[in-house]
Amino acid sequence: MAEICGAEVDEEGFLVDLSDWNKEIAVEMAKGDDIELSEEHWDVINFLRDYFEEYQIAPAVRVLTKAIGKQFGKEKGNSKYLYSLFPYGPGKQGCRFAGLPKPTGCI
Amino acid sequence: MADDFEVPKLPTYLEIPKMNEGVMAGDGPFKSVEEFQTPLGFPGAKVDNWQEVAINKMGELKSKYRSVQVFLDACVKCGACTDKCHYFLGSSDPKNMPVARQDLFRSVYRRHFTFAGKYFPKLVGAKELDDAMLDDWYNYFHQCSQCRRCSVFCPYGIDTAEISMAAREVLDAVGIGQKYCNQILGKAITIGNNLGLPEPALRDTLLDLEEEIEEETGVAVKYPLDQKGAEILLITPSADFFAEPHIDGLIGYGKVFHQDGVSWTMSSYASEGANFGMFIGSYDIMRKAALRIRKAALDLEVSRVMVGECGHAWRVAYSFWNTLSGVGAGADISDEHAMKLQNQLDSRYPQPQHIIEYTHDLIQRNKLKFDKSANDDRTVTFHDSCNVARATNMGGIPNGQFILPREVIKAVCNNYVDMERSTIMESTFCCGGGGGLLTDDLMEIRIKGAMPRMQALKEVEKTDAVDTLVAICAICKSQFSKVLPKFDFDPYMIVSAHQLVSEAIIMDKPQTDDSEAEMPIEETITETVE
Amino acid sequence: MRMAREVVLFESLFKSNKWTWLFGWLFHVGLLLVLIRHARYFWPGDLPEIFLLVQPFKYAAFAMVIGLIGLMGRRIAVERIRYISAPSDYLMLILMLVIGISGAVMTFTSNHTDVIMVKQFASGLLTFDWANLPTEVHFLVHIFMVFVLMAIFPISKLLHVPGVFFSPTRNQVDDARKKRHISPWALRQEKEQEVRLNETLGKDE
Ligand code: SF4
Ligand code: SF4
Repeated sequence: MAEICGAEVDEEGFLVDLSDWNKEIAVEMAKGDDIELSEEHWDVINFLRDYFEEYQIAPAVRVLTKAIGKQFGKEKGNSKYLYSLFPYGPGKQGCRFAGLPKPTGCI
Repeated sequence: MADDFEVPKLPTYLEIPKMNEGVMAGDGPFKSVEEFQTPLGFPGAKVDNWQEVAINKMGELKSKYRSVQVFLDACVKCGACTDKCHYFLGSSDPKNMPVARQDLFRSVYRRHFTFAGKYFPKLVGAKELDDAMLDDWYNYFHQCSQCRRCSVFCPYGIDTAEISMAAREVLDAVGIGQKYCNQILGKAITIGNNLGLPEPALRDTLLDLEEEIEEETGVAVKYPLDQKGAEILLITPSADFFAEPHIDGLIGYGKVFHQDGVSWTMSSYASEGANFGMFIGSYDIMRKAALRIRKAALDLEVSRVMVGECGHAWRVAYSFWNTLSGVGAGADISDEHAMKLQNQLDSRYPQPQHIIEYTHDLIQRNKLKFDKSANDDRTVTFHDSCNVARATNMGGIPNGQFILPREVIKAVCNNYVDMERSTIMESTFCCGGGGGLLTDDLMEIRIKGAMPRMQALKEVEKTDAVDTLVAICAICKSQFSKVLPKFDFDPYMIVSAHQLVSEAIIMDKPQTDDSEAEMPIEETITETVE
Repeated sequence: MRMAREVVLFESLFKSNKWTWLFGWLFHVGLLLVLIRHARYFWPGDLPEIFLLVQPFKYAAFAMVIGLIGLMGRRIAVERIRYISAPSDYLMLILMLVIGISGAVMTFTSNHTDVIMVKQFASGLLTFDWANLPTEVHFLVHIFMVFVLMAIFPISKLLHVPGVFFSPTRNQVDDARKKRHISPWALRQEKEQEVRLNETLGKDE
């Protein structure tokens, strides 16, 4: 199995043990995808982590966009904005950086 | 994720490709691990005596399912099906020709279960189940979306989907499972939905939705959860809560219920329409998932069970719920729970009922009002989802599963065209992501398999400027939103049928019974509330 | 009805591939007529009138042979079909071809076989009475191949003949919402597991 900063990740690059997460891991994962984490990225990552803490699951795309829009300004509350931050999708790429499990289903 | 393949070009006419042996050879999708295997009762890793286990399992399936045996015996290798699978058309790998796919299974069957194969294996193409064969099984039976298109064209109606299910069942029995399906099934039978949305998250998501609709329309459309005594229990794919564009369909359902004034609810215990048990061929697991719905229906004391927009959910609901869990009619006296349920269900309605049947019925009875011009900016076409088209019916009339959705769409928008006849209705091409293939590790086959559908779509885009594709299946919607951009389409062109309904429906504003809903009054009300 | 159209007209095949349909249908209809004509060898005494209707169709043999050659040609020429063919698929076609041609030769060339003698022989067979066999080569080839064909019938793909009638995707009724279809093994399993299910059903609250 592959490792990032000493933490085990699965074949899709998600953390095996979610409690391994720390900021360096997120930065490192982003580097692997040619992304440098900006303030805006962190806003999303932090929201994802808070939401997960509360509900044990990643938020629905609609919930995420709405919440981001509310907190950081209307112009950011849409999926285009989120995709500009996370080209592979806020759900999949964002969750990976944030150390959440991959949301799977008919999505 | 594999990016190192070429996205097929869209030809002007769909041609039968020249064979390219081995283009799709590989290890198949990610394999399941112990953590996901054990809860389903499968061995955690490939068992030592796997050959023996596999052959025994094949024998069991042969005697259990008449279909499997007939399909294995009846094929005459006429070749009629060879150019019917979208995965062959898109990938040109000969093992993706339906009959060749079956032959992976059939050759082993012949070797072990037929006279000719036991004594003259070479002559009839019988083969031993060795490691290479097992790998081929895993790889190529996960390149079949179980769409049944091939069966429509086979003179014997041989259904490769069923062979795929059998093969996956054998694979699971020897401990080789697919990660995507089995992980999801684990969540579905413990938490209640494929995504693993626990009740609080679900409740929160629905509240959010109510807020949004009220902001937009000024109407308090409700999304009740676990409401005992409601009339209708809606079972919808959990993607409807979570993903885009699905959620707009959910908004549509809510508005229709609201306009009809019926009481309805969803269940946090059975919050999933999709049933992946079918994909892996497991009757037991399929039943387990279906029984959650029976329990929810009993607990919530509903009198109708309704299914949202989901392809194979409708197949399972329509064809198997009655058998699996008694949602239907004609239960045996000895079956206590099913009897109880069927006494509780209202026999004036079909049980289960599809949301399209429901909306269609309301439209027929003039219960809904639409402003069709709301969809005038769209030119719409409809993608028949494979499981709905080839394994179910709607409305109880022949071909109702093709007619009803189209009538609903035409009732809410003015510009509608169909795609080329040989690519719709019973001959519809699969979206490319069904049958448990909707996972990133299978992106290559998903994109290639989408080619035939994309080609037909390109045609109507050229001739009729179609810019909206409607589907009534959660998998189709997700798959399309991923593959559309690869073929130079707008990923947002895929929508739910009920999204169009939602956009055109005219909602009665609150206080309508006062007077004919005068806008000023209504505005003052909202103002005072604020 | 669906079944009848399928068996008589090969409807699905027509939808899928016109050439295969053409040859396949020619062959099967030819074969059917030929078989009916053969009935005269087995029918004790004179034939009922109805059979006379098909007697003029002696050219059916040609339809059958043409159909077979067409099918053979496809199997060799179309790469997709070549890919899925096992040796037995070719052998079967060759077998049928030999039977067809040798039969046609008997009917249409000058060396006619003595039909009356055949009839005696064939009727004799039915009563396990090995009468004198005509000795023309064509006939011997013909009858021998037919025996081979009959011998392998139950273990070969010729089983598709009864198979089509059993095909679930063609003979099932669409009434799942009104009637419960449960197979015996599933019912048994349900009974056995009932207790367990009751437990789980109650517990999840
Ligand atoms: S069921 Fe569909 S995906 Fe599977 S072989 Fe047949 S046509 Fe292809
Ligand atoms: S169409 Fe049917 S009989 Fe013909 S090769 Fe395909 S599976 Fe076999």
